[in-house]
Amino acid sequence: MSRQKVLGIVVVAAVALATGFLVAGQVKAQLLTPSNQVARYQALVRSVQDLEAANAESRRQIASLRAQIDALETEAAGRSAATQALRNQVADLRSHAGLTAVHGPGIEVDLANGVPAPDTTGQARYLLNFQDVQDVVNLLFAQGAEAVAVSGRRITPLTAYSGSAGQVIVDQGPPLSSPIKVRAIGDRNRMLAAIDDASALPDIRARQVQFQLHVTYFGSPDIALPAYDSSLRIPHVNKS
Amino acid sequence: MSIRVRPVLRRRTSRRAISVWLIAMLVALVATVQIRSEAEVQRSLVGIDTTSLAFLIDDLHRANDSLLAEAADLQQRQAALRSGSVEAADQVLTDEADNLRTVEGLVPVHGPGVVIVIDAAGLKALDLQDALNNLAAGGAEAMAVNDRRVITVLPVEQTSGGAAIGGVVVAPPWTITTIGDANRLAGVASVMTKQLRADRRVRQATYRVEADVAIQSVVSVRPFVYAIAS
Repeated sequence: MSRQKVLGIVVVAAVALATGFLVAGQVKAQLLTPSNQVARYQALVRSVQDLEAANAESRRQIASLRAQIDALETEAAGRSAATQALRNQVADLRSHAGLTAVHGPGIEVDLANGVPAPDTTGQARYLLNFQDVQDVVNLLFAQGAEAVAVSGRRITPLTAYSGSAGQVIVDQGPPLSSPIKVRAIGDRNRMLAAIDDASALPDIRARQVQFQLHVTYFGSPDIALPAYDSSLRIPHVNKS
Repeated sequence: MSIRVRPVLRRRTSRRAISVWLIAMLVALVATVQIRSEAEVQRSLVGIDTTSLAFLIDDLHRANDSLLAEAADLQQRQAALRSGSVEAADQVLTDEADNLRTVEGLVPVHGPGVVIVIDAAGLKALDLQDALNNLAAGGAEAMAVNDRRVITVLPVEQTSGGAAIGGVVVAPPWTITTIGDANRLAGVASVMTKQLRADRRVRQATYRVEADVAIQSVVSVRPFVYAIAS
């Protein structure tokens, strides 16, 4: 057998071996149709993007309608003292419900994802989650915060948080992800002292050490918060 | 002889070389497709998997339906105000004031809902906060714990006396009263009580669906000192 022939057989054998490994790897990874998986994933992402666009449009419409209604009410209040009195009551109720843009002294807490590190829990604890945001907001309200917004989404008496690791959903808004800014108006010294307290926010502090979860905060003499731009409908509740 | 054989050998050799090259190219192509596809899948899956995406789509559908309903309500209110009559304006304002008092927990309320009873030793404020948030995310429109009204802006804190809502301790067993879409709430309550029963600290976790749940407790208004309307 010539040297060239032997070399040819070796090359063919090597190629066949490589093909065998590749096919086995493919089957094992269950990625026989990876392009389909990507296409499916991309279709889901497109659905999310379309729904987010519709969501943003609806919230814009709601904000615009509320502004127009406010103008019409102001006009009506100019014609009747009783209407004016009613309007003042509603204005006060709206501000407590988060429906009015407000400003005043307060603090900002900035939260961001940490870095992946070995974790026995098997969870992606280096990522921010909705409980982190909920804990910070709850702490601020406990220290007398009068108004709070999470990355521009105003917190209301009906606010609920949800989401998966790395995604925070506040009420009917789109998912928020790192970095997240929690802004609160109130007694800033009291709020800063509470966040400074080493016993506050134990889970976040532990993950700050373990995963370098990013938490910074500062006080400001004037913080502006937008009005809530989503729904406060409670169709199942009746006044007694 | 050798003159005849040489072209045959050359043809065989070149055919073999072409075959080897073809196979090598095929392998390279398959490998490239495979590696790129896997990379693309990994890149696009960073942070969120398909199951989470499916849940997100479901949440966004529900949120968008709710936003559309709110927009429709506002359009009706706007149309009433455009009529120009003072009576219409008074009615719109009265209705909104009533709705906001309910949202802010300032008036007693009733409606369909679910009552959950959790008897446990050692549950903390964080457990209560999570339970209340799960119910709010699951459609609770009004809530109370042991006849103490709950709204999100009232903090749930751990005190020396136990979990407190807005500074008032709520001692176990906790009776969580919720009003909202009873079917949705029942689903949330079922999962929640099942998880709680698996917790060693929990002695009892049950729920019942009621056609009319009453919440008598109310929240007091705290006037703003720092926040000024923009």
